[in-house]
Amino acid sequence: MFTTGSKLLIGSALLATIATIAYGIAQGGTLGTIGLASAATALWFLAGVNIYVRDCNVAIDEAGALTVSAAARQAPPSSPWPIVGALGAAALLLSVVTYPAVGIAGLVLLLAATAEWMVQAWSERGSADAAYNDEIRARLAHPLEMPILGVIGAGVIIYSFSRVMLSLTKVGTTVTFSVLAALVLFVAFMFAARPKVSSGTIGGVVGLAVVALVAGGAVAAFSGERDMHVIETTADLAERGRCGTEASEADKKSSQTLAGKTNLAATLTLDDAGILSAEVPGFNESTSRLTLPRSNPNNVVFRNDSDTDRRLVIDVGPSGDMESRTLCTALVEPGGVQFLTVIFDMPTFAVPDGHRFTVPGVESAVVEVTVP
Amino acid sequence: MTHRTRGTAGVTDVANHDRTSMQPATPMTSVTPVSTTRPLRRRAAWLGVAGGAIALSGCATNAPQDTWAPRGENAQMIHDLQWPIFAIAGVVGLIVFVAVGYSVVKFRDRGQPIPEQTHGRPALEIGLTILPAVILAVIAVPTVSTIFALADTDDTDCVINVTGQQWWWEYDYPVLDDGTICGYEPADGLTAAPIITSGQLVMPAGTNVLVRGTSRDVIHSYWIPQLNGKKDMVPGRVHYLRLQSDTPGIYAGQCTEFCGLSHANMRMEAVVLEPADFQRWIDNELAPYEAPEEGTLAAQGETVYVQQCARCHQVNGLVDPLTGDLVVSNPQDHVWSGAAPNLTKLMARNTFAGATWDLLTPECRADVWEAAPEDFGERYLEGVSEACLNTVDLREWLRNSPAKKPMYADAERLEVTDGKVRGMPYLALSEDQIDALLAYLLERK
Repeated sequence: MFTTGSKLLIGSALLATIATIAYGIAQGGTLGTIGLASAATALWFLAGVNIYVRDCNVAIDEAGALTVSAAARQAPPSSPWPIVGALGAAALLLSVVTYPAVGIAGLVLLLAATAEWMVQAWSERGSADAAYNDEIRARLAHPLEMPILGVIGAGVIIYSFSRVMLSLTKVGTTVTFSVLAALVLFVAFMFAARPKVSSGTIGGVVGLAVVALVAGGAVAAFSGERDMHVIETTADLAERGRCGTEASEADKKSSQTLAGKTNLAATLTLDDAGILSAEVPGFNESTSRLTLPRSNPNNVVFRNDSDTDRRLVIDVGPSGDMESRTLCTALVEPGGVQFLTVIFDMPTFAVPDGHRFTVPGVESAVVEVTVP
Repeated sequence: MTHRTRGTAGVTDVANHDRTSMQPATPMTSVTPVSTTRPLRRRAAWLGVAGGAIALSGCATNAPQDTWAPRGENAQMIHDLQWPIFAIAGVVGLIVFVAVGYSVVKFRDRGQPIPEQTHGRPALEIGLTILPAVILAVIAVPTVSTIFALADTDDTDCVINVTGQQWWWEYDYPVLDDGTICGYEPADGLTAAPIITSGQLVMPAGTNVLVRGTSRDVIHSYWIPQLNGKKDMVPGRVHYLRLQSDTPGIYAGQCTEFCGLSHANMRMEAVVLEPADFQRWIDNELAPYEAPEEGTLAAQGETVYVQQCARCHQVNGLVDPLTGDLVVSNPQDHVWSGAAPNLTKLMARNTFAGATWDLLTPECRADVWEAAPEDFGERYLEGVSEACLNTVDLREWLRNSPAKKPMYADAERLEVTDGKVRGMPYLALSEDQIDALLAYLLERK
């Protein structure tokens, strides 16, 4: 009448009950008695369940159960989404003690896993045909999955590519991308020579390239960016008070912008006699005094025609909370030019010392500026 | 029998319809006879009215921005170019319209069979390609030469800096190395300094003026139709525009690049003065500040001005009556463009608020605008007197300027500009304050 498993559980439950009573009477310990009583209760529950399902054994005379019972149905395939969801939930919790970005990633994973799991569960109830179920899942999910996966894939490739480029030296970049270009050419040539190459081969080659790129990107990301050659800007020089005669490297391309060439308020030239003069578009002759508007960018070019490195300097007066602010170009080599954008917040009459362009080290080089 | 009738309601299939008698052979179920002549007449009448209105608008005499009435060499160059091109284009247009009209009428659908289709008429096609090319080439010669002539800056006599911002124009006159402004030396006792004004660009007659234009905020476009063509003023760029006129007078203009809420209220005027009058104008602009007499309404107005207006508007030479300090405006802290009109000589000009409203009453305005060229300078340099002051518009402006001219002037709704206004905000001035301000401003000339 009782199945084997039921007998074992009934015996165990009975033994636990007796042990509980004996222990309770003999020892009187509350904790032990509760523990044994709990074990007895659990065993009696399991025994009851086992008796109800009869050890989950199908009797030999119930042949129909082999085809119509729930257990006879094909089990759904294993799903990765519970694990992914758990990973997302764990990341969400971890973000409390780590970084907000971890939480965002966890939330994305959790939402993606929830959505995918729901769609998969829905599709598995579509019919008894697993192939059909897969098809309806694909019809629903692929229009969302493909663009997202495409964006993620492209992002990973672009990011890897950028890491590689940022970590390589100038020569290394030339060599690496020459080799890469040659490889692309070679592979393309091979495919062209053998037009009937299988899609598997093509996929393998492309996959290998992507893996190599991502691996290279990861290595490059960990090794860090190469040392950048930094040239101080006008703002850097002003902020650090380096507008005197001290040396500073000039960016020779900074004056080559279209705006720098075509939208000049003036070109200031220092000649070899130490005279600074301004050429203003529209005026036929050079001048030693300029009128420049207030509250608007004024682009000027400094041309050094002297035989010594020089820079152009101007004190623009009070600006915001600052009492005074000095702007300057980098040190310009003989024959060189530099670009400077100046904004005057205050009119000249409100600045005690007025506005003027000067060249440190050359007393005679002055162009007076009036801001009305 | 089935045929089609055409009416204003479209095409209707009619079954078993007697074509000659218009009587249905069978009970009519779907056709209501429609008169085609009445709608056509109505359309023709409307077209006639519209065409007549357009034609009549060309007869306007009070059209200060008439591009067909040049008053300077540069505008004359454009005029000399556009007339022949307009004539050529008109003839071509006429030929095309006549040809199209003839074809439409002559070959309209009368139910005739589709004519035989042919492929290509090489002679005609080549001819119709070469002819426009020749016309364009002929037009290109004077066009290109005019463009180059209008871009020439070598003959400049006077440079004036023009800066656009929402929604007014600022003018400043640089001082040259020789201490002159546009070649005019200030009178004895006056210090040469750049003149700064707004709304009205004052220039000497018979002088090649070069406008060096830019903008402080968005793209504007400077256009005085009677003196030259349009020139965009782009922030961060410097643009050049030639202006010249031999005839004293006021020439009106309008910003022609949509620049925001009050684009339509961004106007400008070029004022041409005889050289002697221009000299007087310079001397007046450079004259030192004269404070109002103590105890007068104007003196009260000076205090109100310092408290309410001087944050943005500069009056050169103004000293705070309470502290004795020189008053320096800080429009860069309050206005998005970083500038507000300089009011040192407000009443020496005729307009305010982006040249949108007159400072003169209509009668006094007419005296200036309609003055003969030989009398114009005298009338203009009189400035605005108490009797001629247009207090109606100026009071409305001071009471609530954003209500008079649409502007983004509510600082609490301007997150994008860090709370800086675009235009003049509402200042909640009392009527007494406005009275005092008017008295003070009336002396600024």
